[in-house]
Amino acid sequence: MTDLPFPEWGSAAHDAQFSQARSCETRATRFERRIRVRNAIEYIAGALVALLFGGATIAALLRGEIAFALGFLLVLAGTAAVLWNLHRRGANLERHPEDTCRAHLRRQYEHQRAALAAVPAWYIGPLLPGTLAIYATVTAKVAEKAGWATALSGIAGPAAITFGLFAAIALANLWGARRLAREIAALDAGD
Amino acid sequence: MTEERQHQLYREAGEHFAPAIARLARAMERDPDRARDLEQDMHCELFRSFARFAGDCALKTWVYRVAHNVAAEHRLRAGRRPKPVALEDIGDLPEPEDAELAAAESHAVARARVIIRSLPTLDAQVMLLWLEGETAKDIAEVTGLASGAVATRIHRLKTLLADQFAPAEHGNEDHD
Repeated sequence: MTDLPFPEWGSAAHDAQFSQARSCETRATRFERRIRVRNAIEYIAGALVALLFGGATIAALLRGEIAFALGFLLVLAGTAAVLWNLHRRGANLERHPEDTCRAHLRRQYEHQRAALAAVPAWYIGPLLPGTLAIYATVTAKVAEKAGWATALSGIAGPAAITFGLFAAIALANLWGARRLAREIAALDAGD
Repeated sequence: MTEERQHQLYREAGEHFAPAIARLARAMERDPDRARDLEQDMHCELFRSFARFAGDCALKTWVYRVAHNVAAEHRLRAGRRPKPVALEDIGDLPEPEDAELAAAESHAVARARVIIRSLPTLDAQVMLLWLEGETAKDIAEVTGLASGAVATRIHRLKTLLADQFAPAEHGNEDHD
């Protein structure tokens, strides 16, 4: 280190000291806390979905509504797949904070970009079969009593909202992935 | 790596770099409480990282890499913030807010922190290391940028600061 180019900078926090090492043995870093929070969310979400759709499946089976029960089971399976994907992606987080800043930043960006770009496949895709099955069952049941025109017109609004929401989630994530891809390109061109 | 050696490296790093780490945290995070939290995160990441330190690079390089990478992750998670402005595109420096001025040791330091938070992460890291008095070669080793790219950024930094700060606020203009 040579003389400071901006002496006032060096006068700030000149008496700072490191935390006691033993406090680090018990302190979870923000990164670790984030993983814990994410795991907790996974468990809570999984429990809620299992409770709700598990109960709905049993109720449907007791009433002999096999098609509904199948739809609810597909939602349960889809949610389990989403949670598993979330867990797997979290577990795959590579972390080498001692790497160069550029390599570290690039890896962080790339990890986020890949996760966002793949949202349609790992988040929306598993939920589609169950959602479609439930809509199809409701439509068929209504059509039996009131005809297809009434059934389809009745389902159009809710289906547009549901699938519109899925599309919006996918597009927002793809947009985020493209923004990160530009950041990565800028990093690569940084020399 | 023995536990004793890990503690020894941590002590050594603390003796030499604690103020620089504190300045880094305060520059990257405006909120004083979060800045202290970030600073402690850096300490703990450093302590844990020393278990992997094999002496392949200088202790200083290792310390700065770990601390800057923890700060970069913090920035990445901080959610929405204004779009970064590249060094060459910064026109008039934004004036620090009252809270910023109250937390900083001087108006000049507060303004420098505002610039750092306006920059893209890698540019901010170069500026911080330069402010700590590191050479272009050392900055290149920490950041992973080519020496030429670091030199270009330092040149832009000098121009920016020369344009915006009063001459009395400047130190060694020729430092790089």
